[in-house]
Amino acid sequence: MKKVINTLNAPVAIGPYSQAVEANGILFISGQIPIVPETGKIIEGGIKEQTQQVFRNIGAILDEAGYEFKNIVKSTCLINDMADFKAMNEVYSGYFPDNKPARAAYAVKDLPMGALIEIETIAIK
Amino acid sequence: MKRTFIIIAVLSLIMSFTFNMGAQEKKAVRKVITFDNTPVKRPYSPAIEVNGTLYVSGQIAIDQLTGKLIEGKIEDQTRQVLKNLKNVIEKAGYTMDNVARCTVLLSDIAFYPTVNKIYMDFFPKDPPARMAFAVKDLPMGALIEIDATAVK
Repeated sequence: MKKVINTLNAPVAIGPYSQAVEANGILFISGQIPIVPETGKIIEGGIKEQTQQVFRNIGAILDEAGYEFKNIVKSTCLINDMADFKAMNEVYSGYFPDNKPARAAYAVKDLPMGALIEIETIAIK
Repeated sequence: MKRTFIIIAVLSLIMSFTFNMGAQEKKAVRKVITFDNTPVKRPYSPAIEVNGTLYVSGQIAIDQLTGKLIEGKIEDQTRQVLKNLKNVIEKAGYTMDNVARCTVLLSDIAFYPTVNKIYMDFFPKDPPARMAFAVKDLPMGALIEIDATAVK
């Protein structure tokens, strides 16, 4: 049984995907970019502001699905520029103080809407 | 007498723990999804099923019969990729509706709207979660690659 998660507190999907899908006790959250839900636009600022917005969006979806940040088991972090790695990590580690999830992180050529960062997460309760 | 009782009680307790642990120890069964007529040998399986989850390898627009990338633009490649994905998913006994998440890799972010239109035909209702982005290069100069994880 597949359950689709939908909340207005996270950005509306800008393509044919669901914000998150829960199946077999696993929550798959779509890659989040730093869109501000109220405006539908990428948040102003650099990598730190964008990373914070991404986490706000992830948090809203986790909330709606009844999960917490500590349930995240794996994340994939895509950045536009490897030089942003350190700054991104500083914001990222604030959300995972201990028992950090597994992760893959790398720089890509481009992200939708010119975002500097996109993070996909998988959570299990 | 009392000491014997205690020893027997402790031994029974230890044995029951061991038996319980043995019963709970479940080995994950791993099933490989293959196609018999694959022309070229590659260092990966089309899909692996384990614990009720199907992990499908990234598909590029290869024609199954020739083993070569199809001719054509992003529209043709996207359609072929999704057809290949559907093929593997159905061979494993799953449906497109079971797909929980996909990764969409594009050689050019400008393809995003075109790809989305075709993608919607394959996931018309309750589409899977997704990550989409442009990459520097794809194997065989492909324009698009998509992988999927399906859960029954």
